[in-house]
Amino acid sequence: MALLQLEKDRLVWRARQVTGPDQRRQSSFYANLDAHLQGGWPQTGLVELACGLSGIGELRLLFPLLAQSHTRLQIWINPPAQLNGQALAQHGISLSKTLLIRSQSPQHALWSAQQSLNSGCCSHLILWANSLTAPQAKRLQIAAKDNQALIFWLHPQAKPSTSALPVSARLSLAPLATGLHLQVHKYQGQWPQHPCQVDMHALWPSLAMPAVVPKPTPTLRRHITLVGVNAHKLQ
Amino acid sequence: MQWLYLHFSSLQLDSLLYQQAYHQACVLVDKNQVVQANAEALQMGIKTGTGLAHAALLCAQIKVVAYDAKKEHRLLSQLAQCLYQTSATFYLDPPQGLLLQTSDMLRLYEGIEGYWQQLQHPLIERGLNYHYASAHSPLAAKVLAYAGNDRLLKHPRQVHRLLSQLSIQHALLDPKLALQLERLGLNTLGQAQALPKSALGQRLGKTLVTYLHQLEDTSAPAKPAYQPPERFRQRLELLYEIEHSSALRFPLKRLLTDLEAFLAPRQLRVAGLSLGLNYREHEAQKMHVGCNDGEYRAEAWLSLFLLKLEQLRLPAPIIAISLTTKGQMPWAPLSAQLFEPTQGKLTTGQLISRLQSKLGDHAVQQVYLRDDHRPERSFYQGMPQSHYPSQQATTFLRPSLLFTLPQALHHKPDQHWCMLSGPERIQSGWWDNVNICRDYFIARNPYGQVCWLFRTPTQGWFLHGYFS
Repeated sequence: MALLQLEKDRLVWRARQVTGPDQRRQSSFYANLDAHLQGGWPQTGLVELACGLSGIGELRLLFPLLAQSHTRLQIWINPPAQLNGQALAQHGISLSKTLLIRSQSPQHALWSAQQSLNSGCCSHLILWANSLTAPQAKRLQIAAKDNQALIFWLHPQAKPSTSALPVSARLSLAPLATGLHLQVHKYQGQWPQHPCQVDMHALWPSLAMPAVVPKPTPTLRRHITLVGVNAHKLQ
Repeated sequence: MQWLYLHFSSLQLDSLLYQQAYHQACVLVDKNQVVQANAEALQMGIKTGTGLAHAALLCAQIKVVAYDAKKEHRLLSQLAQCLYQTSATFYLDPPQGLLLQTSDMLRLYEGIEGYWQQLQHPLIERGLNYHYASAHSPLAAKVLAYAGNDRLLKHPRQVHRLLSQLSIQHALLDPKLALQLERLGLNTLGQAQALPKSALGQRLGKTLVTYLHQLEDTSAPAKPAYQPPERFRQRLELLYEIEHSSALRFPLKRLLTDLEAFLAPRQLRVAGLSLGLNYREHEAQKMHVGCNDGEYRAEAWLSLFLLKLEQLRLPAPIIAISLTTKGQMPWAPLSAQLFEPTQGKLTTGQLISRLQSKLGDHAVQQVYLRDDHRPERSFYQGMPQSHYPSQQATTFLRPSLLFTLPQALHHKPDQHWCMLSGPERIQSGWWDNVNICRDYFIARNPYGQVCWLFRTPTQGWFLHGYFS
């Protein structure tokens, strides 16, 4: 009975647990990122993304991955602004499998993250939280691993958290003209590597900065959306 | 035909004390007279019929609760619901009796002993005091049960012998009539039965003749047999007033267990429960808990309620709780999941109801699309639905994070900004007076954020979202 309790608290280590880190990966659908991370994102676990500012393309980094998964729920907890359904649908994300949670306090956010993971019906969880303590991170990490889920923890600090946090991967992002500059600080199962650049130009050509900044010209294409009775008057 | 009568002499008191671990004298009082008393009170010498003042003299710490025939009737129907599992045909005899027709059930239970064993089980479980008797006629069974006979009689001969020995005082006759009979020197029922009925009728009136006739009448009572209700609805009076919401757990569990016992044999589940909280000197409150997928298990509902109760502050002590159901549906296994690999312990609906119970109904949302060109109205966040409507997204590039209120920019975007595309004019909304006319631009600010800006006709610049 006592041993069972200790095992439950994960205080007992057994030799048969020597499997090494989980080598399974899921593709990020960015070729150079996959090559850099030796296959892509981890299959399960907690991934920390230090974004600095929101709006630099941190979600675009995840969209191709999220667009491939339609079987279980994708849960977004406390995004910094409204999640635009139109944009999510455009990127191929299944809105019927998207759940949005807004919590009053950070404790409630973590509680709902853990409940969502432990329910087993969530495959990806995107959590915005300013900070996590080591026990909180460990709890999320274990819940994710036990339930075959992947959590992305996004926070607005430019620098990643201290190395003491038990996460599967720790990355920091910085904006680039055509995509993101990505520094891998920790990645379970591999050595630290040089920074890498993620090129988003192919997927979002209109959001990438042109190589040479052109002077604004009067021949910019105009998209005009006119609706209703007034439309014919204006045309 | 064979009949069994169950008499619950202290139904209201027993239900009140059930599982309460109350070891003091407690009595129910009606018109200043004790009508029901628990074992501790009986030990003190308090009997039914004792006056309230007398009872208070016998025991200073006595707990006195008002007797309520209506409540007792309700308890009797709750009990009947439970007995319906073992007996097919029975009749309520309010406020304290149940008349069961046993002859139909004997083949199923292989004799009266087996049937009685099954029948006793829920009664003992509920800690009820009861007396019973079986007889060939309903009235005979009732009279013998009230006399505390407590035997299962198989032969009418035994019944006749017991009835003839019964004193007139205990024969459930009108007290006036019983007194008249006694004055005639008829002390037992047998003596009255031996006299010619026409003579008795002439002297003492029709009532007695009808009574004697009914003692032998084996036919069923002239009222409809018990039918279980379609919906679950139960109320629980609390012996103690509850002042902390955490203490509600135990009475609530009792209600939910009854709910499960109600739903499980009917193969039903419910989508929502509503818990009524009756306060002392405060308006009653209702607390709703939902589970879209439907649920019947007491354990699952209890965990949802506990999440909700955590946040509840009681404005006054609670004196009673009640439970009603919403949206009953047939139980169906989640067949879609049979062949899918699941590591899930909960379904999506169960997860959502869990989250909603703790965080509030509006904290868990889904994003829905709407056909509108105005960016803030082209989607909305609403409660999760089991059937998601399919809708087409716009083909124009839209930011993934959108501000509820556009943020004004203090300066017009200068040379440090890089305009990536635009303008895209959106002019719409004349029909609902939320008319907008904006020229949208996608621009990258000096910090590298890809912003969605718009310019109003008055040359005001606003930040509306990020292409995150």
